[in-house]
Amino acid sequence: MTDLLAILIAALGAGALVAPLLLMGRSASALTEPQKTPFLGGSAPRTHAWQRYHARYYSMTLLFIAFEMEMMFMYPWAVVFVEEGMKAMVEMGMFLAILSIGILYGWREGIFKWQ
Amino acid sequence: MAVTALVHRLAASAPVPVFAAVGEDGLRAVDRLAVDPRVDLVASPLHAALLLVVGTIRDDDRPELERLHDQLPHPRATVSWGGNAVFEGEAVDGTVDPLPLLSDMHRALMTRARPSEPDLLPNAPPNDWRGKGDFGQGGEGMMGGVPYGRPMPMTDDDMRDGLALDAYSAPFGPFLPQFPAGLTLDLTLQGDVIQQAKVLRPPYPQHESGGAAVALRHVARMLRLLGLPARAERVLHDGPRERLAQTLSRWGAFAAIPPGLGMIDGTDVRGRLRAWCAEAGGGAGPVVEDDGPLTDLLPGLEWHEAVLVLNSLPDAALRRLVPVPKPDDDQGEHKHEHHHDHHHHDHDHGHGEAHG
Repeated sequence: MTDLLAILIAALGAGALVAPLLLMGRSASALTEPQKTPFLGGSAPRTHAWQRYHARYYSMTLLFIAFEMEMMFMYPWAVVFVEEGMKAMVEMGMFLAILSIGILYGWREGIFKWQ
Repeated sequence: MAVTALVHRLAASAPVPVFAAVGEDGLRAVDRLAVDPRVDLVASPLHAALLLVVGTIRDDDRPELERLHDQLPHPRATVSWGGNAVFEGEAVDGTVDPLPLLSDMHRALMTRARPSEPDLLPNAPPNDWRGKGDFGQGGEGMMGGVPYGRPMPMTDDDMRDGLALDAYSAPFGPFLPQFPAGLTLDLTLQGDVIQQAKVLRPPYPQHESGGAAVALRHVARMLRLLGLPARAERVLHDGPRERLAQTLSRWGAFAAIPPGLGMIDGTDVRGRLRAWCAEAGGGAGPVVEDDGPLTDLLPGLEWHEAVLVLNSLPDAALRRLVPVPKPDDDQGEHKHEHHHDHHHHDHDHGHGEAHG
């Protein structure tokens, strides 16, 4: 019974949050074409705003994740290694081999070159 | 509806959200409005209820002003303050304080006592696209056609490393709050780095005689651009004084500007801000003798750096540094040129292709 009451209260709470948003969305008038264009100080854009640009930090992110994942799993692995021995050693070798592909790719892209 | 009436009353009692389109000799008035607590000077027309046109507007800028007007959400109204009266709305003389009118109009708009101004431009996309192509995306293939009425941006070489990704080329201005009023630049951007810059229209002359008060307002404007609006207000409130540069230095305003940025005549933006501070204390202001085109300075800069460079220059120097655009330089030619030159990476420092 109390479960049902809790669900009811949660549903009412969610409704109270969502209903005003829905009402606001309904009352807002649709945007006109000038309002849909990005604001450039009055000028009109020539091209569509959807464009690809380069996230230049991606190679550093790749390197960071590769090393972070290594460290994250090596601490608990050290405990398991004491119990399991050679089997854990081989498994860790496989894991590091996969991560090192990422590092090698980064190397090829030149992330270790300091500019 | 009691609730609706209450909401309208609350909206009417808030500071008036105003977007200011600054024309000739309008800067001083707008700088005064920026510190007024009864007005909220917003950075985009989408946040404004009133469009305030300050000073005289060129005929060339009329279409841009109309687009700006249509970008304001309903309910909206226009007030022109000084200069030539624009299309509709109210007009007040430049000598009259517009604040009573602004708050009256805002209250009338919010309580629906005054009707909203209708659109000036047709509510149609620049090109017909709806329903065209295999998926109704406005054309053929991934990059063809005109989705939402405009073509997709095409790839161009990045001047930093030659990576060919989409270059965004668009005219910016003349009523961009971050730019000197009236300045319209045709910029090609990769991310937020400027690849090419071309002047379409020069800034409006402001006819300010110089002196401590003008320099102080300039310092305040730069502080606002650096994201220190409260400090800007404090500088204006405290009035002209000596040792302003030390105060700014303590606030970290100089540290926020990259060193060596916008070097003209051996002085960078930091140096010019320091000179503005000196002028506000009774010293000499920044001196810019060079008349090499400003558009050579901008390529290679990030957006916020370019904005700081533009706003660090005195009005007269800025107008001298801006080359007069040639009327035969049409946009079609420009577009063609920028899509077909692919040798930016040969340039080792920030110069894009010179146009025209």
